[in-house]
Amino acid sequence: MEMPTPNASVVAKKPELVKRLQEVLPADAVIHEEAETRAYECDALTAYRCPPLAAVLPANTEEVSAVLKICHDMGVPVVPRGAGTSLAGGSLPTADSVILGVSRMNDVLETDYENRFIRVQTGRTNLSVTGAVEENDFFYAPDPSSQLACAIAGNVGMNSGGAHCLKYGVTTNNLMGVKMVLMDGTVVELGGEHLDAGGLDLLGVVCGSEGQLGVVTEATLRILHKPEGARPVLIAFDSNEVAGQCVSDIIKAGVLPVAIEFMDRPVIRASEAFAGAGYPDCESLLIIEVEGSEGEIAEQLDKILTIARSHNPVELRESTNADESARIWLGRKSAFGAMGQINDYMCLDGTIPVNQLPYVLRRIGEMSQQYGLGVGNVFHAGDGNMHPLILFDANKPGDLELCERFGADILKLCVEVGGCLTGEHGVGIEKRDLMVDQFDPDDLDIQMAVKDVFDPQWLLNPAKVFPLAASEIRRIAAE
Amino acid sequence: MKPQTEADLAEIIAGATAPLHVQGGGTRPVGGPVTGELLETGGISGIDLYEPGALTLVAKAGTPVSEVEKVLAAEGQRLPFEPMDHRVLLGTSGEPTVGGMAAANVSGPRRIQAGACRDFMLGVRFVDGMGRVLKNGGRVMKNVTGYDLVKLMAGSYGTLGVMTEVSFKVLPEPETGATVLVSGLDDARAVEAMSAALGSPFDVSGAAHLPKGPEGTPVTMIRIEGFEKSVAYRSGELKTRLSTFGDVAVETDAGKIAALWKGLRDVESFADRPGDVWRLSVKPSDAPALGAALGAEELIYDWGGGLIWALAEPGRDLRTAMGGIAGHATLIRAAAETRKSIPVFQPEPAPVAALTQGVRAKFDPRGILNPGLMG
Amino acid sequence: MQTNFTEKQLQDPGTERANEILRACVHCGFCTATCPTYQVLGDELDSPRGRIYQIKDMLENERVPDAKTVKHVDRCLSCLSCMTTCPSGVHYMHLVDHAREYIENNYKRPFSDRALRWVLARILPYPTRFRLALLGAKIGRPFAFLMPDARLKAMLEMAPKHIPPVSRNDDPQTFASEQPRKMRVALMTGCAQRALNTDINDATIRLLKRLGCDVVIAKGAGCCGALTHHMGKTDESHATAAKNIRAWTAEMDGDGLDAIVINTSGCGTTVKDYGHMFRNDPLAADAKRVSDIAMDVSELLMQLDLPEGEAKDMTVAYHAACSLQHGQKIKTFPKDLLKKAGYTVVEPADSHLCCGSAGTYNLMQPEISKELKARKVQTLEAKNPDVIAAGNIGCMMQIGSGTGVPVVHTVELLDWATGGPKPPALGGAPVLR
Repeated sequence: MEMPTPNASVVAKKPELVKRLQEVLPADAVIHEEAETRAYECDALTAYRCPPLAAVLPANTEEVSAVLKICHDMGVPVVPRGAGTSLAGGSLPTADSVILGVSRMNDVLETDYENRFIRVQTGRTNLSVTGAVEENDFFYAPDPSSQLACAIAGNVGMNSGGAHCLKYGVTTNNLMGVKMVLMDGTVVELGGEHLDAGGLDLLGVVCGSEGQLGVVTEATLRILHKPEGARPVLIAFDSNEVAGQCVSDIIKAGVLPVAIEFMDRPVIRASEAFAGAGYPDCESLLIIEVEGSEGEIAEQLDKILTIARSHNPVELRESTNADESARIWLGRKSAFGAMGQINDYMCLDGTIPVNQLPYVLRRIGEMSQQYGLGVGNVFHAGDGNMHPLILFDANKPGDLELCERFGADILKLCVEVGGCLTGEHGVGIEKRDLMVDQFDPDDLDIQMAVKDVFDPQWLLNPAKVFPLAASEIRRIAAE
Repeated sequence: MKPQTEADLAEIIAGATAPLHVQGGGTRPVGGPVTGELLETGGISGIDLYEPGALTLVAKAGTPVSEVEKVLAAEGQRLPFEPMDHRVLLGTSGEPTVGGMAAANVSGPRRIQAGACRDFMLGVRFVDGMGRVLKNGGRVMKNVTGYDLVKLMAGSYGTLGVMTEVSFKVLPEPETGATVLVSGLDDARAVEAMSAALGSPFDVSGAAHLPKGPEGTPVTMIRIEGFEKSVAYRSGELKTRLSTFGDVAVETDAGKIAALWKGLRDVESFADRPGDVWRLSVKPSDAPALGAALGAEELIYDWGGGLIWALAEPGRDLRTAMGGIAGHATLIRAAAETRKSIPVFQPEPAPVAALTQGVRAKFDPRGILNPGLMG
Repeated sequence: MQTNFTEKQLQDPGTERANEILRACVHCGFCTATCPTYQVLGDELDSPRGRIYQIKDMLENERVPDAKTVKHVDRCLSCLSCMTTCPSGVHYMHLVDHAREYIENNYKRPFSDRALRWVLARILPYPTRFRLALLGAKIGRPFAFLMPDARLKAMLEMAPKHIPPVSRNDDPQTFASEQPRKMRVALMTGCAQRALNTDINDATIRLLKRLGCDVVIAKGAGCCGALTHHMGKTDESHATAAKNIRAWTAEMDGDGLDAIVINTSGCGTTVKDYGHMFRNDPLAADAKRVSDIAMDVSELLMQLDLPEGEAKDMTVAYHAACSLQHGQKIKTFPKDLLKKAGYTVVEPADSHLCCGSAGTYNLMQPEISKELKARKVQTLEAKNPDVIAAGNIGCMMQIGSGTGVPVVHTVELLDWATGGPKPPALGGAPVLR
């Protein structure tokens, strides 16, 4: 992956930069020695790495503003970083950039049950937002798989989704407001404790802008009362086509489960070997979860099971207690770790119209043969958000490049059938150069025009989202 | 001008030398008065794609909302955000279009549960102020590929570009519904009751308070939708919980329920009465105090108190009465003169206004799309 | 994760194991969320993922460790919370142990650091020396404020106010079962524990005898080696561990052993790892035999028939020691046993987080340790318990120094519930031996 040539004059200014940063931050919040900056050279996408000039760990909005102002004055690019769990390289530094980590900003600022929102500093992890309200039986709905570790800052940046978004929506549908610092240090507030303010929906465009428009330091999030209960069923099929048809029929019947998860045979076998959840050895497996009171759960499951039976499943397993529910979810939740036991993997998240599932799975299988790289599929079937995990050997020269080409072909296929490159991970560095396969130059130009407004010097999170050539022209023009 | 294709529309805009007044069906004349040649999108019409199993519908911007609703109903599905029909309140005629609905981000009482129009917009095609045909988003439910300009287009009232196609996520029509009615509450107690209902696990899909209900006395309405047994269970639970607030009844007659919520959605009770109509978005618990401070002739509380409809004497700027309570006030119905002198949309703080102006200048550098509509 | 070791580097068994562990890590970052030091410091460098990265870099390049890397590795509590969290099964314990050994061999610590470590390594594992030191500390405590080094100050402050007399129960001998014998088990009496608190071993012996065990205190067994092992002093830790292996295998080959019981979970984690520690040693087979039958006392009690106790009006806050919950993956047994004995059991919020004791951590990293202690005490006291129970002497000392709520070992409560004396910490009379 090509990165912009580091700006030598910026690199040369490092001593002055460090000195100025140390003036506005505590000593241990400015990390600049080479032995230490290396730990910030990548996020959860380790294929691409580059140590930053420095990393800073501000503790509040004022410190973020001070840091950005200094970097703005000195023309230093800034890469915002939540918890560093991006699978798309969303917080990959450049050699001339400062990493701005929000991990020390994890306070709950306000909890309001009457108006059903919570206001937090954005370094707080997704799951600990729920943790802050669960003793009152409330929760924050978006639940990316990395929810234990990922920060709200990253969730806002990537507009993160999760398994349960079929019912509850993704981050943008649960985000009421933000406090954000622009690259020049200006603090703005968008949205707030009320819904749908008039005026342009800038909050909507900030959510999912991958940290390129500003650094979001506080977020007001919608919280909901927990359902009375939830229960999954496991349905196994001997063909992907039938499983896909079953999903479509359930949705058409008016049932809206909170989650419909799909696993294919390679993933089923891998997670069975790793976690031993007791899954049947079958072609495809659905885990469908519904919520409500006991009676409501029974009513929904009854409808789901009737439809499932009409498709002749090879196995149909209902849960009768919490342990059995946990076992049904166990394999799915271990899927990534299980695939990681086999080899290194690259995880993509292209999304497709759900009726294209069988075709796309078949094509991925064929491509896997051509490339000679294994692939497993586990995904949110209700919304067509695929997660092909391509296996490769990072220590074998050439394997990563082969994997990248295979991945690119899968994503192009997703676009070809009417889908998109990424459903929840974001473009980051990983899919930047594939943007031209989904968008025409003008489509990209209008997106970049928005960045021109928020960050005229193109200093925030450089080299991401847009094809490098396109973003470099704008960055250089701004200089 | 009423182009029949996207290409024609693009040509018109590219060739325009003077401001254009962009409108869909012309049923929602909200915003500052616009002077410019009328450009109607109603000619670019038709449903391009509907996949009930994928909960997806794609329609050209000029497609009547009623046509979309009819097609969805045939498959037992609907637009979940319950778009308001402005014709009654604003005394307009014509057909609301999909593009107009999206451009005004029109949502109804179900917004508190399901989300707003913008939350169900998956993708748009539009023509910007330079006549370029652009797209953003797509037709799949999860899509974070590039910046989300779909949200930006929602509620931009044609000032950033003219939409030609919108894709929606749709949802199943519930099997049945019920509405729990609490009578006789004052505004403050009503908001408390609505908060209790909305903070319960019973998935309330509407919570509104009419200080002057159909009988002229206060009524608080809590809506439940879903499968039959579930609705019975939840409405029963809510009835019990809300009985501490006042007299509670459960309405189960589908026709009556539909009429109640449609009346609320379209603000029918202000329709034939003189005065300006304001729409205020606030934190629900602030609503009773704000409602009292406004000095309006009549109020309606929707969204659990988070949305106040106020009928006020003509020409008065209600924002001056908000007394420091945070929120956004929009002047929905007023004489053109008033809409010239009082900003229709809540003025933004300077740094936000600068961003808004900057974005507008990028999308419509010549300033020819609905100039003056949003200020 | 990609690694860059040469074929030659991989011939070293330690490096080869490190490579295997690093290759399993996908750098997902889940571990950061449950790492106590990351919770306190919020810096990637003080998270498991960051440490793994620093260790990888150090080992691959065979770098002389720099002070910063050492600082961040030293700050690791070895609580192993990350191993519970890791979805990919990364064996962080073996990696950090290897890194500590590498640092010990290749890094020259500042003098005061070396002196402190030398002192601790030569006192703590030896009960008699440790006891003398504690008595000295008792005298020195009033002068703690004069100490220039925060760590020495911490040492003085940590020393208990009451130092028990030597217990003859800890001498080599065999206690006969009070019932027809079900099992013959060796009890590891430990080192520091013998000097700090003799109630635990006494209670364990009474309880096991009552439930049908012959309890052997094997001749020659002593410190498990964990303390020096975690300082990277491999030669010393292996030497003490080897003594244990010989002592216990002698018993196994003699009258036989059904289990080696450990009531200090920090030691248990290490004894269970002897098989790995000695994998390239002539003692490998015996070490594995020992590891295979090593058990935490709660594991053994689950196999014995603990009688159901009557419901008691006593709320026990169970503190899960990291070595037990993360190191040995024993999460429910102690709670199950306490409930069975009739106690009401509650657990604090964030029970996965370390109390900051972590062996000698509270002495070496007093600031972080204090912060973790404060958080732990706060979450425990929030549950309004009558007593706090834990399965590790280190945690008991640490938590006990921050709260007025009595702290006891789980076995003391089980012993009491099944006919033993009231634990002295709860006001019971000292037991005459």
